[in-house]
Amino acid sequence: MNTTTNTASASNGMLAVGGIGLIVSLGIVLMKLMSEGHSAFATTANIPWGLPISTYLFFVLASTGLTFVAALSMVFGIKGFYPIAKRSVWLAIITLIAGFAALGLEIGHPFRMIWTFPAGMQFRSPMFWMGVFYTADLVLLLFKFQKMNADDWDSGASRQLGVASFVAVVLAQGTLGSVFGMMAMRPFWYDGLVPVFFLVTAALSGAAFVVLFIQIAYRGNTDSMPLDVKALMTGAMPKVFAAVLGVYLVFTIARTATGLWSNLEGNEVFRVMYGSMLFHFEFWIGLVVPFFILINGNLRNQATMQILASALVILALFIGRYEFVIMGQMVPMFKGQWTPGLASYMPGLAEWMLVVLAVSITLFLYALGARMFDLSGKPKS
Amino acid sequence: MTLEFKTSRRRFLQATGATGAVAATGIGLSGGTLAPASAQQAASAAGTATVVNKNICHQCPARCGIDVYTTGGKVHAIYGNPDHPIANGKLCPKGHLGTYILYDPDRFKGPMKRTNPNKGRDQDPKFVPISWDEALNTVAARLQALRDKGESHRFTLAFGRGWGASCAGLLGTFGKLYGSPNIGLGHSSMCSDGSKKAKHATDGNKDYNSYDYLNTNYILNFGAGFLEAFRPYNNNLQVWGHLRTKSPRARVTVVDVRLTTTGAAADRLVMIKPATDGAFALAIAHVILTEGLWERDFVGDFADPAMKFEAGKTLAADSFKEKWVSGLIEWWNAVVKDATPEWASKITTLTVKEIVTVAREFGSTRPAMALFERGPTAHTNGVHTGMAIHALNALVGSLFAKGGLAYQMGPAYGSLDVKSDDFLDDYAKAPERKKPRMDLVGSAEWPMADNQLQGVAKHHLAGNPYKIDTMMFYLTSPIFSAPGCKDWETALKDIFVIDTSPFPGETSVFADLVLPDHTYLERLQDAPTYPFQGYPLAQLRTPAVKPVHDTKVFGDILIEIGKRMKGPMGDYYKAVGNTENVVKALAKGFEKSPGDNGVNSFETWVQKGVWYKKPYHWRQVRGEFYEWDGTAYAKKMDAEEVKKKLLKTPSGKFEFKSGLMEAKADFVTAKVGIPAERVGFPQWFEAKHTGGGDLHVVTPKSSAHAEGRSANTPWAINIYQPTSGGRTQNLMEIHPEAAKKRNIADGDKVRVKSSIGTISATARYYAGLRPDTIVLPFGFGHWAYGRWAKGRGSGNVSEVTENVSDPISGLACYYTGKVTVEKA
Amino acid sequence: MTKWGMVIDLEKCTGCQACTAACQMENTRMPGEVWQDVIFYTEGTYPSATLSWLPRPCMHCEEPSCMHVCPTKATYKTGDGLVLVDWNRCIGCKYCMIACPYGVRFYSGERAEIQPDVRTVYPGEGDKVWSPPFQMPADKQDRSRGVGVAPANVVTKCTFCSHRISKAPKDASDLSGDNPATRESTPACVLTCPPTARYFGNLDDPNSEVSRLIAQKKGSRLLDHLGNRPQVYYVTGEGGSVPNVGSSRKA
Repeated sequence: MNTTTNTASASNGMLAVGGIGLIVSLGIVLMKLMSEGHSAFATTANIPWGLPISTYLFFVLASTGLTFVAALSMVFGIKGFYPIAKRSVWLAIITLIAGFAALGLEIGHPFRMIWTFPAGMQFRSPMFWMGVFYTADLVLLLFKFQKMNADDWDSGASRQLGVASFVAVVLAQGTLGSVFGMMAMRPFWYDGLVPVFFLVTAALSGAAFVVLFIQIAYRGNTDSMPLDVKALMTGAMPKVFAAVLGVYLVFTIARTATGLWSNLEGNEVFRVMYGSMLFHFEFWIGLVVPFFILINGNLRNQATMQILASALVILALFIGRYEFVIMGQMVPMFKGQWTPGLASYMPGLAEWMLVVLAVSITLFLYALGARMFDLSGKPKS
Repeated sequence: MTLEFKTSRRRFLQATGATGAVAATGIGLSGGTLAPASAQQAASAAGTATVVNKNICHQCPARCGIDVYTTGGKVHAIYGNPDHPIANGKLCPKGHLGTYILYDPDRFKGPMKRTNPNKGRDQDPKFVPISWDEALNTVAARLQALRDKGESHRFTLAFGRGWGASCAGLLGTFGKLYGSPNIGLGHSSMCSDGSKKAKHATDGNKDYNSYDYLNTNYILNFGAGFLEAFRPYNNNLQVWGHLRTKSPRARVTVVDVRLTTTGAAADRLVMIKPATDGAFALAIAHVILTEGLWERDFVGDFADPAMKFEAGKTLAADSFKEKWVSGLIEWWNAVVKDATPEWASKITTLTVKEIVTVAREFGSTRPAMALFERGPTAHTNGVHTGMAIHALNALVGSLFAKGGLAYQMGPAYGSLDVKSDDFLDDYAKAPERKKPRMDLVGSAEWPMADNQLQGVAKHHLAGNPYKIDTMMFYLTSPIFSAPGCKDWETALKDIFVIDTSPFPGETSVFADLVLPDHTYLERLQDAPTYPFQGYPLAQLRTPAVKPVHDTKVFGDILIEIGKRMKGPMGDYYKAVGNTENVVKALAKGFEKSPGDNGVNSFETWVQKGVWYKKPYHWRQVRGEFYEWDGTAYAKKMDAEEVKKKLLKTPSGKFEFKSGLMEAKADFVTAKVGIPAERVGFPQWFEAKHTGGGDLHVVTPKSSAHAEGRSANTPWAINIYQPTSGGRTQNLMEIHPEAAKKRNIADGDKVRVKSSIGTISATARYYAGLRPDTIVLPFGFGHWAYGRWAKGRGSGNVSEVTENVSDPISGLACYYTGKVTVEKA
Repeated sequence: MTKWGMVIDLEKCTGCQACTAACQMENTRMPGEVWQDVIFYTEGTYPSATLSWLPRPCMHCEEPSCMHVCPTKATYKTGDGLVLVDWNRCIGCKYCMIACPYGVRFYSGERAEIQPDVRTVYPGEGDKVWSPPFQMPADKQDRSRGVGVAPANVVTKCTFCSHRISKAPKDASDLSGDNPATRESTPACVLTCPPTARYFGNLDDPNSEVSRLIAQKKGSRLLDHLGNRPQVYYVTGEGGSVPNVGSSRKA
């Protein structure tokens, strides 16, 4: 069939772009790390977490969202979502790997985690749990995908894997949220509801990723989709996308308004954020425009509009993660005249290459998956 | 001394007594591996045992005794020597930088000669290593050749931070034997000669004061960076902790042009217009006199108790019975009667209320002291300003009083058996050797100054009085630090330059020979104390490690050159041998006069690092002077003795009309423009501001920098300007209002211009500064000196500071410049 | 029991930074790795501008948030109250730097503020981040306590000079440089502090000088509302240079 060929050629292109991107970016990062060590990163004692961490956040929360999307059919039995479940699980796996790659190259001694996590059992650290749950999540997703690929959708084991991976990822993103939300010394983050906020943001990125990648898979041609996929993409999917985006907008507005209104020391960062072009681009172009596209019954079912909306949302989420991570650190802790005003951070080449690397991994593995597996696979019945 | 210091020392001595040899190095019981160490032991120590050697810090003139910790032949820590009265086991931030300086990767590795004949800032000297023998022979041959031509006066040796008999102390003899008046041209005219001259003119002592801070109840500080750089810095800081918690808590008023840590920590900071401190001091004197707050026991009183000083009204000279002062009524009539707070307010920009409040506080608190140093005196009106401030000390009777000011006694040094006068040859004795000095001190140009090193480059270029042939530098680098320093870049082009710095400083870029000195942790070197608490004190550097590189201590370089001279001069230096002999001879003096800590020989001096003998010998109590009789201040002194030992003026009293000035009245009138009838009075007149700009520029020293020895030390660079946040470079502080007027944003690159040059800098808004003044710390803007120093931060302020000096003291007017600042 | 703690008298503190320099020297820290920093604040404008400051070591909190967030237990609390980092366990995630409200932690892999980087000037032997000739004697260095030259890419912090205080005479409750018996076991910053603004001793001993000072001069702790319960106390008097320690986390 035509579509298959098209898909294949598309995936060839993606494979090439992803592969080259992967080799180039990894090469540059490794070279920088080799020659300069971690001085290659522009992080400082004031801003210890930079773009690689927000990239990590972006990708693992996308993975979380994609697991949610898969769970709609696999855990909650909403059958209409079966046709995109396998693709979602694959995307969840590869975005998680992309996120881990960014993190692994940023932290000082990643391999030390292998023994220090189990040996330490530091149950008070949200990061410890985040590590445990995301690792579990990856393992479970891989098993689940293997089952799906073996056409085992309904066995007890397969279903339990689905449920388990869903539970793991809810806990994982929750503890990831707490990594930030528990930081009482940083008012920009300090909020017991960050796990809930992350839940919404994860769901939104899941929806956006799925929409984008399905459109890519079918080359933006709704008519070339199998009927059940087409029904989903012109029915429930964009509606779910719209709904989650709406909830996310409420969160963003509420959080920003509270931050701007309160005089709490440390919350002045909200004013900085509100005063930046980046935020307004993110909010108006990246969120409000897609929202209006998606609530419009006509527009939301058009492939190009879906591509536009999902791409903008993905960009907005990427910016949002960056703002969240960096701005939470901008109030210097006891620096006085040494750092008058707020701390600043400007990512350098090494950091940007880690972003390119994570994106390339996603593209490369996705294309690879598209070649190796039938990502449109679904239960026979 | 205070109770707390005394207690700690007593406890220390008890413990050292109890633990014998181990404690002799000042080390406690707990270390286990710590052992006493002679220099030799330390140098050969290869194991892991930690040894402690005594030394003296080199970062500022304070001369704190330090304990140098060496393990396995490497120095890794420096702490204050607990047995040292200035250090008391403590250190300022600079004190801890010595290890970095010792192991500075940019140090010269050995003697070198220049192979590139072209000289210039950007010319690589193309140094090639040579042996010490070759280096010393080259110098000796050159000096011999000059001598053979009868031109020995054309050899000049300039020094800055001299330490003692074993370095700068050798220069006089060398000059005498060799036959040059220019050996040992000092840099004090670029340091603080203004305050010395002010004191010389009023109380007859050409010296800095010692201060009894521990017992004072009021400090009126005119511009001294007491908590930033004022010597002895480390001890000032210690004193501060005491002053602020003793009972009664001493009050401190600081007069400065900007908000410093000293000003912030004080009870009051008054931000005065630059160069107007003298007017403020006179107004304080006015209030003290009109309100009857002067110390009658010291100053004297009206014959008729009903009489008063009334503003604007003259008094009859015989109406007042002066005790230890002279010329009070004349001064009142000529100057002070009109120096009302209202008058001073207009000049200083301070409010009348500020002036009166400070005056009343100062005048009614005893003991009180007014102190100042380079700040208010680095102007063309500097000496007179200093005299006006010092007059306040006389008015409140704090001279030689408990909690007041005195002067420093010298140590009981011995001397070499070899007498230099026995080695003078006919050449050296010849009348032709009486040549004018290269700095023209003693000529009609500078009859009152002690030094004028900043003039030497100009004089050389003009051939006045003659041209220099060869110039050697020891611990000074006027090509970087002198006002109008660029003159030196021209002058040194046709002079054979010998640099002795261990560091690749600016002078070395123009050097023909580099004979690198040891850094201080490698030296054996003595240093009597700078003015501290009056009683005699002398400390010693002992090597902590073998020289890291092929270097030689400056004193030995000089002696080795001397040995290579023909005739009796060479014989003299062969007899002297080396600096170790010199130091040992000094220590001979301690045999007859053992120190309070038991130091009575070279060996014990090496072990303890310091010799001192308390107390100070004189004290003025309620207008009577007493001498220490061995147990108490009980020997009453008559006027003759006071004149001989303490108030060394022509009148034997504190002179409000200076005899010293009157003796040079014609010069003072001609150069400073003071009418003949007013010459000699402490007074204020407007300073001549140089530079032609609209913003005053002050160039202070900072706590981690001071004399600039940490310029190539990134640890110090990192903490230079904590108040304005200069983490990686020095910043130019400017009031936001002044900056905005010039369209300068915080962090902008700016150009700082004066009539003689332009430098670049980075602006930092600092609202704690007068809007008519900018701050650019001194000692930055290196174009050499090592990888971290070179090209960092602002340009060198000396390049925009005109070479203008106070005609009387000769002190370079570092703070009198005005500049324009514009966005780069 | 011993619970080491520090008292800093801000009325005596001169802002000279001797503590900072001594700490860097004693502990072989790199430029910028200011375990002990002095923080200055300015407010207002001429002629009534104010300048205030406070020295800031690690607070060695009773409830250290840095320790609780560390996923590998690399940061731990010792029996005598120190908060230390085990460099063998540290993965360099820098979460502790995020979680420390006092900004006292540093990353050994951080870009050097002052170039050239001392790590290139004194290249590290083995996996040491640098090996300067003036480094702490080898027998005092202890990676499991975060003492000495760090390996690359770990978090470093003030140890209260653990290598010194661990040599304190048994039962010593006051460590002071003025007492020859405790001089060599006193933390560098306390030992050198010229105005004697710093005191070090056992907070668990009501007779120790630190306990008495806290009681007599109303010791307070930075950001006490966060509940980290620092073991560093500040006492203040009338000094104009004393910041409001209740809220010093201003920019």
